[in-house]
Amino acid sequence: MLLLQSEIASILLNGLQQGAIYALLGIGLTIILGTMEFLNLAHGALYLVGAYVGLIVFQETTLTNGFLYSIGITSLGFDGGFLAAIVLVPVIGFGIGLLMERFVAEPFYDRPETDQLLVTFGLALIVEETIKNVIGGNTFQSIAPSTLFGVNVSQPVSLPFVGLFPSWRLLIIVITFFVIGVTYLAIERTDFGLVVQAGTRDSEMVRLLGIKINRSYSLVFALGAALAAFAGLIGASIQTISPQIGTTQALVPAFLTIVVGGAGSVRGAIAGGMVLGLIISAMTQTYSQWAQIVLYLFVALMLVFRPQGLFGTAEVGE
Amino acid sequence: MTDREVATDGGAVAESGEPASASGGSALSRLRERDDFVVVASAAALIVFPFLLVDVLGIVGDVIGLSIGGYTGLPSLVLIYGIIVIGFNLLLGYTGLLSFGHAAFFGSAAYSAALFSQVVPSPLLMVVVGTLVATLLAWPIGFVSIRRSGVYFAVLTLTFGQALYFYALGPGSWLTNGDNGFSNIEADGLFLGALPFDAPLTPLPFLDSYTVMYGFAAVSMLVAVWVGNRIINSPYGLIFEALGENEERVEFVGLNVFRYKLMAFVISAVFAGVGGALFVIHEQYIHPTTGLYWIQSGDFVIMTVLGGTGGLVGPVFGAFVFEYVANVVSGVSLPAIGSIGSLWRFVLGAVFVTIVWVFPRGIYGAGEDLVAMLTDRSGGEGGGDTAAADGGERE
Repeated sequence: MLLLQSEIASILLNGLQQGAIYALLGIGLTIILGTMEFLNLAHGALYLVGAYVGLIVFQETTLTNGFLYSIGITSLGFDGGFLAAIVLVPVIGFGIGLLMERFVAEPFYDRPETDQLLVTFGLALIVEETIKNVIGGNTFQSIAPSTLFGVNVSQPVSLPFVGLFPSWRLLIIVITFFVIGVTYLAIERTDFGLVVQAGTRDSEMVRLLGIKINRSYSLVFALGAALAAFAGLIGASIQTISPQIGTTQALVPAFLTIVVGGAGSVRGAIAGGMVLGLIISAMTQTYSQWAQIVLYLFVALMLVFRPQGLFGTAEVGE
Repeated sequence: MTDREVATDGGAVAESGEPASASGGSALSRLRERDDFVVVASAAALIVFPFLLVDVLGIVGDVIGLSIGGYTGLPSLVLIYGIIVIGFNLLLGYTGLLSFGHAAFFGSAAYSAALFSQVVPSPLLMVVVGTLVATLLAWPIGFVSIRRSGVYFAVLTLTFGQALYFYALGPGSWLTNGDNGFSNIEADGLFLGALPFDAPLTPLPFLDSYTVMYGFAAVSMLVAVWVGNRIINSPYGLIFEALGENEERVEFVGLNVFRYKLMAFVISAVFAGVGGALFVIHEQYIHPTTGLYWIQSGDFVIMTVLGGTGGLVGPVFGAFVFEYVANVVSGVSLPAIGSIGSLWRFVLGAVFVTIVWVFPRGIYGAGEDLVAMLTDRSGGEGGGDTAAADGGERE
């Protein structure tokens, strides 16, 4: 099938937009994995929390079932708009990350990785079920704002080569790439990042140098959590919100991303996210039924022929 | 009594006056490992299981005013999942490989059994065909996945399972009927329409819960227990266990690690295949989400870990707890809190986290330790020792 120039351009844009969300998730997962060698299957739950906190902060939402509905609360939300959400969601994600590191991850640092997978898997189940039972198991509409900074973002804009493209999606690409860039610089160019990177290589040595690596651990975990929650907010602004998105839209893609990019590598997570985003976007636009199948088979081939990923150096846990 | 004395003579107690209970324990454990004993004990348990679950709990439930009794189909369902987790435990509990893709074997067996039933409506052949398909599928998937370990193995098995799920949901709809689910299953009775599955085995009114389906599942379970026990206690199973403890050493001894891991994977898929075929006969319906989605694989993991890895009884007990919570506890309405309903998965998650955190040996393992501790002190120490050994083995 021959693709038009405009189709290729829109595949690229959609791919970048989806890839940026995968990259945000992947960076969070990969820095936690790389620094603490902790496998966090609850990463998708953080995305889920981000989406729901975003929903509640953004607008007044009508509830139709769940515990809150059963005790007479029929609507929930602060109607704070998207800017409030964009500030609050990462902060709450950060806080949850700090607590999670202290109370869930730390007791499991010295236990086998199977135990880490299992306990965080259970935790993800608990978070998902809590949201389902408290706020309701129904699907909510996505929460894209109509204006931001007084600029209308609900109308499509006309782009060269592409034609009409939703301006909100374009803005998302800008925002997410900004966040990805800042995170990348924070890890590659600051002292904090240097400690984190050194901790990945040899945490005992870092401790001997008199650096409080435990504090860095909590910060890294919280940063990863904040990124996941932020990804949840961005995802919620373009896709519908339901308790299942934590696993389907976030956890599984996040793992695929770091496997493709190479575990422990921030650069790899960004590249992996982009590759997966482009595959999904290209397949959705051409043979949409096969999109997910091709995605999974690509990752399987990647694992077989290049297990260290695009940018990874060695496999974690081998 | 003579058994115990023989064991004492042959045991390591000859030199010192160790408490008799310790050697008694070892005699008991030796007895418990014997094939015929395991099969006879399982048969006894299978004979009373539906009566206890459906009738006795039903009466107790009537007395205390909570509907805690099982329904007629539940015992069979527990056995079906029990068969699957016996195999899954060989992989997770012994070889130490965590697969998040066993729904692939469960689901493909279920679908192929369902499709085959339209050609030959024989449940026995359905199980054979389903198991065969699952086995043939496990070989290439295992061959590729086993090359990686840890989280990479988990993600690889997950990707294959998910690819199959999306195939069944979308492009494969011509075969699987896609999102509508597959319900054209021609298996009404055990022998060409005779002995319908939901009919009671006996004409006795108080044994209604013993259906033909239950008999079929129970016989399959007995075979699974026998095979599982044979594997666990064979030199072959010992190598599986050694692989879980220290792969490198097994390699140094000169054994082909890859081959043994692959065999553990394929054997566990065979059990999943048997379970999948039985499941579709029991439910008369299969959907990509119940059959192939990764949450189903996750459920196998939960059952196995919940009950306790590393034994024959633990995982089956986990399957029982899981299905009991999913199907019975979810329907219970408590006086103060109200209906549990959709909270059941929450309860399950909380119990699961607690088990992983505090009792790595699972509910059954924790119960064993408790009984050992209560019955006598030396037994308690023994229980503690095995727990420590178990903890060591998992590292």
